[in-house]
Amino acid sequence: MAEKMKIKEHVESDEIISVSHLKIAFGSNRVLTDFNLGLRKGENVVVLGKSGCGKSVLIKCMVRLLAYDSGSLKVFGKEVQGLSQKELDSMRLRMGFLFQSSALYDSMTVRENLEFPLRRHHISSNKNEVNERVKETLENVGLYHAIDLMPSELSGGMRKRIGLARSLILKPEIMLYDEPTTGLDPITAREISNLMLRLQRTYNTSSIIISHDMHCARLTADRLAVINDGICYAEGTFNTLQASNDPFVKAFFN
Amino acid sequence: MAIDSDPNSPGAWSRVFGGMRKFFAEAGDISAFAIRFFREILFPPYEFREVIRQSYEIGYKSFSLVGITAFIIGLVLTLQSRPTLVEFGAEAWLPAMVGISIIREIGPVITALICAGKIGSGIGAELGSMRVTEQIDAMEVSGTNPFKYIVVSRMVATTVMVPVLVILGDTIALYGSFIAVKLKGAVSLKLFLSQVFESIDYGDVIPSIVKSVFFGFAIGLTGCFKGYYTKKGTAGVGRSANSAVVIGSLLIFIIDLIAVQITQFFGIF
Ligand SMILES: Nc1ncnc2c1ncn2[C@@H]1O[C@H](COP(=O)(O)OP(=O)(O)OP(=O)(O)O)[C@@H](O)[C@H]1O
Ligand SMILES: [Mg+2]
Repeated sequence: MAEKMKIKEHVESDEIISVSHLKIAFGSNRVLTDFNLGLRKGENVVVLGKSGCGKSVLIKCMVRLLAYDSGSLKVFGKEVQGLSQKELDSMRLRMGFLFQSSALYDSMTVRENLEFPLRRHHISSNKNEVNERVKETLENVGLYHAIDLMPSELSGGMRKRIGLARSLILKPEIMLYDEPTTGLDPITAREISNLMLRLQRTYNTSSIIISHDMHCARLTADRLAVINDGICYAEGTFNTLQASNDPFVKAFFN
Repeated sequence: MAIDSDPNSPGAWSRVFGGMRKFFAEAGDISAFAIRFFREILFPPYEFREVIRQSYEIGYKSFSLVGITAFIIGLVLTLQSRPTLVEFGAEAWLPAMVGISIIREIGPVITALICAGKIGSGIGAELGSMRVTEQIDAMEVSGTNPFKYIVVSRMVATTVMVPVLVILGDTIALYGSFIAVKLKGAVSLKLFLSQVFESIDYGDVIPSIVKSVFFGFAIGLTGCFKGYYTKKGTAGVGRSANSAVVIGSLLIFIIDLIAVQITQFFGIF
């Protein structure tokens, strides 16, 4: 035990996100009670859990879309709830967030959706450069032909991929994926998983991936964490968890 | 809500108090929203492009409806007033009387009510669906202040565009009135207008425009407030659009009432 603590402390220094004793409740609905998790630089962590257990809430707290009640949540070594608006903006600039519902801007075309984050951060005023970047990102998700469509003209899976492209366009250091492969066919799902893996390798991106898709988890995860009853119920590599005897953990692998 | 669903609720009184409490809570929230608007509008970044785009949208979308209604109101008002004036032998006063009622009261109020119905509900529904589909959250994480980008730009746009629509509406209503006068006897536009403007001065026009600015602000405020805080999925979007119109229209009448008190107090009339 003491040995383990020591190891944990040692690695904490290179943790890019560290969550400890996090507690979140909505009124009487206690979602997370004492949650702990760390994400190291360049690592992919897949988060599993039953529907409604607070997976989306957890990653929304990481970008300060929701507030937590107590505990600590540090991103890039800084307590998220203690940041000024300016610091928060620059933190968000380094993070990408894929919404479970894709959250594309209805009133804009696919191209404008992707240009939006570039414009807002004044990343580039050069028209060609912006176009090039949009093109490259769209090709990554295999949807360059959809560039001039409106979100309402896309299928659910296409929306998901455009949402992914939009969150990747700023080349974030941390990516938070909320169910990136849900609702996709197995072939596209595999392509997306490979893309996530490629990003991790090329840009050393660290990711938290919420997913029920075990193929995706097997492919992308360096480590898995299982949420149950508001705590991090189990944690380990794919193989250790798969070999687990715990019935709750086992249920995810069947 | 909590009181209604409580089976031990002691009845009517607590329901009245519950309703009042809800009313004041809502009024407080709307005021806080308005205060936030003024705080945010003062500091950069300014979303000029978005303001221009929204103003164009709002003006363009409502112009035809405002125009048609204003024309008909001007026409009908003149036709309806004529017999009474003829009875008193005061037919010559027709343009002046109609002109005053249009510019002082009917033009601003009718235009504002149409805008509350068309623009207010549109903003309420649009922001509501942006809220429930997490587009507002998405904007926030891409480093854009959604209050500034979405709310402030729309509120500025309604505050500017409603007075513009009122002026256009007044003009068209006067033209409608001219057509009605002309139907009953030969009169030139020039004569008609000179009769109208003889009886109107700045004391009529300025308060009416100032009032329209407040109408526009109220329409933007209620639409944005209701839309921005939409809850409970798609059903909430409809509710937001609906209550944006109801509260917006109510505010228009309240502002009108206050405006008439102020102008009379200062003896502008
Ligand atoms: N903004 C909110 N206000 C109040 N309650 C909320 C809010 N967001 C989430 N909740 C509650 O928090 C709990 C966890 O929700 P969350 O969206 O994190 O579930 P999830 O684990 O992502 O489930 P799923 O796999 O179905 O997406 C739910 O009980 C939900 O009702
Ligand atoms: Mg979720």
